[in-house]
Amino acid sequence: MSAEVHDGIVIATEHIQAAPEVVFRYFTDPALLTTWIGDLAELDPQPGGQFDLVMGDVRCRGTYLVVEPPHRVTFSWGIDGNRALPPGASTVEVVLTPDGDDTMVVLTHRGLPESRIEQHRAGWEHQLTRVCRT
Amino acid sequence: MLRALADPHRRQILRLVQHGELPAGQIAARFTLTQQAVSQHIGVLKSAGLLTERREGTRRLYSLRREPLGSVRELLAELWPEALSRLKRAVEEAHPRHSGRDA
Repeated sequence: MSAEVHDGIVIATEHIQAAPEVVFRYFTDPALLTTWIGDLAELDPQPGGQFDLVMGDVRCRGTYLVVEPPHRVTFSWGIDGNRALPPGASTVEVVLTPDGDDTMVVLTHRGLPESRIEQHRAGWEHQLTRVCRT
Repeated sequence: MLRALADPHRRQILRLVQHGELPAGQIAARFTLTQQAVSQHIGVLKSAGLLTERREGTRRLYSLRREPLGSVRELLAELWPEALSRLKRAVEEAHPRHSGRDA
């Protein structure tokens, strides 16, 4: 429920009342992933497999790097058509640690550029213009 | 910001104001939604930094915000905690604990 930002790293944590085995599938099963992020996902949860997520008009693309059920999953992350954060530019690591019957989720997003949203926003505006035409 | 853009009504509001300012009333008039619902959408767009509000007398005018707000890092620092709260809700609703907590 909180996030910290260090040099190019965003760390978010959450405590969930379910076992890591349960939570893990929400990072690898498209139907479960889209219950909390994005609208449509194509996932191939094995090292080198695709991580493709449509969120509204934005398409995030990457590759699974580490898949170690039920404790760790890592994937690369970027946005189609976005110069500041192209597909594969940064990596997301999710570590699930048992806490009694519950799970502590620590999500670390590394390799984020310094760039201001202006660049990013150019991407949104491009997407918006595209949406506005349809 | 991604959440703000995910809703078709909100995208339509941005489309309406992308070439210039519009008063709240004129925006609401384009929708079959209640004025209150439109105000809520405007509120979401404002807090996502996508809309700028300017007051002129009693009127509120809205336009597409174009200046930079923060870094990609700040954007994701906002996105991930929100996403993980939704994950918590999704998991706990799908897998409720039967017994009360240490009751």
